[in-house]
Amino acid sequence: MKSYFTRHLQVLIATLGDLVRNPTATLLTITMIGVTLALPTGLYVGLLNLKQLSRGWHHGGSLSVYLKKGAPGQIIVSTISRLQGVRSARYISPEKGLQEFEQRSGFGSTLTTLHHNPLPGVVAITPDNTSPEALTTLVSILKTEPGVAHVQSNLAWLERLDAALALGHRLVVILGGLLGLAMILILANTTRVAVVSRATEIDIIRLVGGTDAFIRRPFLYAGALTGGLGALCALLLLEISLILLSGPVHVLDTLYASHYSLTGLGFRQAVKLLALGTLLGWLGARLAVGRQLRLGPR
Amino acid sequence: MPFCLPNHKTMIELSHVFKRYPSGNEALSDVSFSLAKGEMAFLTGHSGAGKSTLLKLISRIEQPTRGQIVVNKHNLSRLSRKRVPYFRREIGVVFQDNKLLNDRTIFDNVALPLIVAGITGDDMRKRVQAALDKVGLLARARSYPLTLSGGEQQRVGIARAITHRPALLIADEPTGNLDAAMSDEIIDLFRDFNDHGVTVLIATHELRHIDRLQKRVIALGRGHMVNVA
Repeated sequence: MKSYFTRHLQVLIATLGDLVRNPTATLLTITMIGVTLALPTGLYVGLLNLKQLSRGWHHGGSLSVYLKKGAPGQIIVSTISRLQGVRSARYISPEKGLQEFEQRSGFGSTLTTLHHNPLPGVVAITPDNTSPEALTTLVSILKTEPGVAHVQSNLAWLERLDAALALGHRLVVILGGLLGLAMILILANTTRVAVVSRATEIDIIRLVGGTDAFIRRPFLYAGALTGGLGALCALLLLEISLILLSGPVHVLDTLYASHYSLTGLGFRQAVKLLALGTLLGWLGARLAVGRQLRLGPR
Repeated sequence: MPFCLPNHKTMIELSHVFKRYPSGNEALSDVSFSLAKGEMAFLTGHSGAGKSTLLKLISRIEQPTRGQIVVNKHNLSRLSRKRVPYFRREIGVVFQDNKLLNDRTIFDNVALPLIVAGITGDDMRKRVQAALDKVGLLARARSYPLTLSGGEQQRVGIARAITHRPALLIADEPTGNLDAAMSDEIIDLFRDFNDHGVTVLIATHELRHIDRLQKRVIALGRGHMVNVA
């Protein structure tokens, strides 16, 4: 068992040596794989960020209930807050609304020229459940409450966003599948060339009693290593892109006075990407070397 | 003894072996002979007589069109593709063109049969050194094949063929392009292995060795057995 591991370790080191001895070819392949993997992964990260952003909106996605003029706000709020599906309800009286509007919009002085307060009383509701179905139900209940003039929700808009995100997600899956296939083909081709260029060596190893597994081993290690390093390159490319984007995002963030920052892949997802790269590299090499060995002499 | 049944004392047993290449060229027709364990024999004949083909059949590099070949108790026509590497570890083959890996040292070349068999570390090192010592090239262990003379390269090939202690040693024109003195040295090396119990079969067209060593001769002419001495 020990000699088995020693052998594998030796092959691994020898393969690393081979890769280092051909730096140009190795770097070219690794970068090619890096770009191939960075595309779907980048799209995925973008989608994650959008989702996070929309989750923030979902949270603040409270419903606004506009009351009829002169309706008893305090009473209606206490009724609404007892309704099923309502986590909390906050009453904003016309006076308070005007105050907030003056503070935030910068139109304060304009409003003072009006003779009366144009704002209705508003109940801001935070629902228990922000799923589209739950919100629809809650909106229809709220509309039947006495004193309610209008219920406004971000519902339709959120639904559209969700649909767009689902579409994006599907796109990432398709693109990921296609580019994963491309990566397998890149490595299969690299491996095929390597096997052909080492035909004499393979022949001699066979003549002295080397098994197919023995002959395959260095090629599989090379494939897995190149795939793993390609994934590492993809992570690097992604990290660089995030750094480049973080400046403009920060500016946008300050302008919107929100508390949002870009997130990259987490540690676990990065490890997953590395594992996936290694696996696809191995697979590509396995396909090519298996085929070449079957074609070759015995 | 023109024909004998395979038994535990037989190393090579060919019965009615034919080999026809896809080109239609019949390289061997109806070849039968046997070689006992511990025996040494020369396989002779003009070039094109089928010597190389015969050795390729015995080392399972090629398969016969018809007939049966048993080597070291393995019926080669029933040997599965998976078992072929393990069979090859029981024999040692010296090729006319050496078949050395020029980008690896002499040591690594000779170690190859051990490495593929999973023998590593001190055991491997000792065996390689013993084999190189035997052919007188221990001092050149760190050199590369192309820095060696033709005779030295041939000796590296021999060291590689014996390092895993095979029961059978096959050589295809091992003295092919060497001068007389060097060629005698190489043949004496084979006789030495034979004295230590290794069965040896050498294909050669140099009758000088046959006269000198007085060993058994298996002669081929145009793919047929000429005589079995």
